[in-house]
Amino acid sequence: MSLAVAFQKLSKNFGPVRVLHEVSFELAPGRVTGLLGENGAGKSTLMKILSGYETATEGGFAIDGRPQRFTSSREAEREGVVLIHQEFNLADDLSIAQNIFLGHERRKGWLLDDRAMNAAAQDVLRQVGLDAAPTTRVRELIVAEKQLVEIAKALSRKARLLVMDEPTATLTPTETERLFALIAQLRAQGVSIIYISHKLDEVERITDEVVVMRDGRFITRRPTAELSRHDMANLMVGRELSDLFPPKAPAPAAPPLLQVRGFTVPGWAQDVSFEVRPGEILGFAGLVGAGRTELFEGLLGLRPASGGEVAVAGRTLRLRNPRDAADEGITYLSEDRKGKGLHVNFGLRQNLTLMNLKRYARPVLSPTREHAALVQAVEDFGIRTGNLQQKASALSGGNQQKLALARVLQPQPRVVVLDEPTRGVDVGAKRDIYFLIQRLVQTGQAVIVISSELVELIGLCHRVAVMRAGHLTATLEDDMLTEENLIAHATGTR
Amino acid sequence: MPQEPVDTSVGRAADHAPAHAGGTSSSAPTRATALWGKLHGLGPVLGLVLLCVAGTLLNPDFATLDNTLNVLQRTAFIGIIAVGMCFVIISGGIDLSVGSMAALIAGCVIMVMNAAGASMGAGPAVVALGMLVALLLGALFGLAHGLLITKGRIEPFIVTLGTLGIFRAYLTYFADGGALTLDNALADLYSPVYYGSLLGVPFPVWVLAAVAVAGGFILNRTAYGRYVQAIGSNEQVARYAAVDVDRVKITTYMLLGLCVGIATLLYVPRLGSASPTTGLLWELEAIASVIVGGTALKGGAGSISGTVVGAILLSVISNILNLTSIISVYLNAAVQGFVIIIVAFLQRGRR
Amino acid sequence: MITFNRRRALGALSLAATLGMTFMAAPASAQKKEVVGVAIPAATHSFTAGIVFWANEAKKELEKANPNVQVIVKTAANASEQANQLQDLVTVNKITTLVVFPFESAALTKPVAQVKAKGIYVTVVDRGLTDTAAQDAYVSGDNTAFGKIPAEYIAKTLNGKGNIVALRGIPTTLDNERMDAFNAVLKNHPDIKLLDAKHANWNRDDAFKVTQDFLTRFKQIDAIWAADDDMAVGVLKAIEQAKRKDIKLVFGGAGAKGAIKTLMDGNDPLIQANVSYSPKFMYDAIKLTTEARVKGQKLPATTIIPSVLITKQNAKEFYFPNSPF
Repeated sequence: MSLAVAFQKLSKNFGPVRVLHEVSFELAPGRVTGLLGENGAGKSTLMKILSGYETATEGGFAIDGRPQRFTSSREAEREGVVLIHQEFNLADDLSIAQNIFLGHERRKGWLLDDRAMNAAAQDVLRQVGLDAAPTTRVRELIVAEKQLVEIAKALSRKARLLVMDEPTATLTPTETERLFALIAQLRAQGVSIIYISHKLDEVERITDEVVVMRDGRFITRRPTAELSRHDMANLMVGRELSDLFPPKAPAPAAPPLLQVRGFTVPGWAQDVSFEVRPGEILGFAGLVGAGRTELFEGLLGLRPASGGEVAVAGRTLRLRNPRDAADEGITYLSEDRKGKGLHVNFGLRQNLTLMNLKRYARPVLSPTREHAALVQAVEDFGIRTGNLQQKASALSGGNQQKLALARVLQPQPRVVVLDEPTRGVDVGAKRDIYFLIQRLVQTGQAVIVISSELVELIGLCHRVAVMRAGHLTATLEDDMLTEENLIAHATGTR
Repeated sequence: MPQEPVDTSVGRAADHAPAHAGGTSSSAPTRATALWGKLHGLGPVLGLVLLCVAGTLLNPDFATLDNTLNVLQRTAFIGIIAVGMCFVIISGGIDLSVGSMAALIAGCVIMVMNAAGASMGAGPAVVALGMLVALLLGALFGLAHGLLITKGRIEPFIVTLGTLGIFRAYLTYFADGGALTLDNALADLYSPVYYGSLLGVPFPVWVLAAVAVAGGFILNRTAYGRYVQAIGSNEQVARYAAVDVDRVKITTYMLLGLCVGIATLLYVPRLGSASPTTGLLWELEAIASVIVGGTALKGGAGSISGTVVGAILLSVISNILNLTSIISVYLNAAVQGFVIIIVAFLQRGRR
Repeated sequence: MITFNRRRALGALSLAATLGMTFMAAPASAQKKEVVGVAIPAATHSFTAGIVFWANEAKKELEKANPNVQVIVKTAANASEQANQLQDLVTVNKITTLVVFPFESAALTKPVAQVKAKGIYVTVVDRGLTDTAAQDAYVSGDNTAFGKIPAEYIAKTLNGKGNIVALRGIPTTLDNERMDAFNAVLKNHPDIKLLDAKHANWNRDDAFKVTQDFLTRFKQIDAIWAADDDMAVGVLKAIEQAKRKDIKLVFGGAGAKGAIKTLMDGNDPLIQANVSYSPKFMYDAIKLTTEARVKGQKLPATTIIPSVLITKQNAKEFYFPNSPF
């Protein structure tokens, strides 16, 4: 059942850029291995080669001692190697069951055996703990549920080696716990697991050993028990990391920059009121489905809102669409990077300047000035890219996130709403983003951070608003701002 | 031809990008990749050159200046409309009504000019009035399309399929099923707009060139053009990036309407009449020009110069068929079909 | 069928009651009534517009002259719509006579045969069916003369010697008949050379393009058979643009209003003659059929409305300013 992998001097080029340099290491069968590295360290590419989505330029790998070279994910799956994507590869208009069996449909003669597939899908859904009918269309699911469907899909393929790329990025603590139980169960059954995550506490908890990569090279392989989280972070970055969060400067006493009164988004948020002052970082905590994202989409005119008042710098306004909001100095970074955040088929430059194109067009666009802005953003945000002419889809997930962040800050907003700003971002880049947010508020901007990482909210925010089932249940600050309190308010146990 | 700096053309930039998730590996040296990228971007041009060589071999008269100008002149209508269509398709939309719209505008222009000519006498003012009516009606019809599609939230295919019938039926009604004909005196006054020339090149060819250059410029060098591409690439992302999606879309349909207006104000003086067969199937020719020119029907990226080449290519095919008798006249449409598919094959993008 | 008739009888009954008539009178007069269904193509170009115009002219005159005659005109945009209309005319309108201008020959043969099988008298106009057993009478224009007369006229005007080109319509049997008749005449004039013939689909714009290309390709052309008055408009414009003086004659066809007017006024030296193929035969067909039916007579199996040469002398007889054609 178990399966051993050995990488042998594996190299990979994208055009002229070498992204993997003679990577060699072995994975013991039947264990959980944490794969660590910063964004762009080559983890995802290595795993794509292992699971047949890419092929190596030189060198290769052996499975159970036999050299293998997969040219498609199907071949890899035949050997029992299954990759759960960091980004979803689901067909929105098909049902959950149809997605799970896509390309592996069960047949009864010439016809599809929907009944059998739905039953089997129901089975794996129960295992991953997703409470949804297999006939539900994927379009109707929220991001976290889509992640669970991806995991269910992998399970149904009878994996012997399961690669999970940031599986908990969108999951709530409860769902994460259920996933960990599932991992333990699979390990007991002899399934090898490679676990990629930037959440070092998770890596510490569930892995047997860790492999660290940096700049496309293998760095080390050690038993997890030997390492502290701090050691892991240092190994990833290759230098001593100082504090993750910048020191909190007290927010200046000033009249509120953004005031929201009694705002209602039907079906998602009821009668929500809050305000944020210049120089303040306001967090939004809550379980998935608590209505945080939907509240802000309503505020920006992306969803119909049925009541409430919005005032910017004391002036009551009506924001009909994100354009109005941007004109008033409010921008929003979506949590759904691929679907709402970035044009993955566009170039980096076109992506960066889209929100603020007027600055580069008077009235003729100046590619030179746009390019200069891109060079500046790559520098400021630490975007790692071999080539500035490439498409956004060629960037690694974390670097795409940095580009998306750079985009919403391009118009120099007075209030910026960041929905899961560090999702899929490595620890070094996370720190960069935190310090960047700190710089923003120091210049008098107000920042709203929606996040599912409680540590992040506590370390970064002046105040944190907690939402539960569409209602704003509490706003915590100072001594009250603890993980226990946040969880208690989010789940309604207090 | 319109300026298209290599790095701003999204379609071409795509060819330089390394393979990404789900793609096949590309370990080939970049130079070959770049060359291939340029080559299949040039598919339509390549097709056109091959056709012209074939045309010259089949009939030496093909390569004469007169014939070239004839072909360009008759390409003008479809070419101008195709430039507008290119914007609509890049934005992810479609307009099936352009042929009927052209017919109705032509009919209205003729009716207005005849009425004005009767009351104020035939003069240049009447011609100017007719041209203005063409532009206004085009923009107005485009506005109606845009509003129905954005505010009314109806699929563009259905909206324009509806107006395709509506426009032509009204023309047929106004013409009583027959033809609307421009009064002789006005027709003589107006005819130089189609038949006249500057520096030996007919006016319609100049207008086509001007529209194409302006179109290429707007698409590649203005914020509006970038928004059109952003919406076609992913409307949701564009909306979240504070692009006023509705307004950009409405403008796109108005721009196409305006192009139809321009094409019509050149068309009316050619025959001085409009009938229910005017503009028949122009919509398919315009869409085919855009797609043959390398724009994806699903939107997101495209090229104006390719579109113009595509339009010329289509009229060259029928020109060559008319200049020779080697193929049964019953097979003309088949030859066009084959050539369109072959050119599309030459310029297909990598998956 | 029985239930259907009863429902109709009930309808007639209640109608009679509301109008305050006696019970006996209404059904008696309804029985004698001649209901004529007319199925024709919709007015999508000037010739079919003429067909629609003349059909309605016939309806007006016949209904005025005879209160027991009802004429129902249906226009169709394509063959299958026309087939549906035939069914409706039979089941809903209860026609006793059908005059049909088939959209396509083959596609409508079966539907028309079904109408005839119900005992309805059928007259087919212009486009012959593939099976003549499906019709009682056939009325048509003279497609042979339509090709023959221009060929003879051109041959005579060129004194039996010269180069000509021809335009063709949409590829159909009708178009083939005309072209064959044209070619048959040219066989007798070996010195007249038909350089080429291309389809321009009875469309002004297509005729313009095809003629432009003919003019590029052939340096000496003496006459052009445009084969249709619409196509002649495009031909004349192309010649004008190319400033070619070699062409002496452009022969259209069908005798459209505008073309006849040009001929009468002598406006264009290239237009010297035309050949009649007027949509008025629709009027003739409806009138002949209805009058025969009212008297209880039959039409001859085939009636050809002759095509004749129109010149400046007799043009007035073919000028109908009220018709759209």
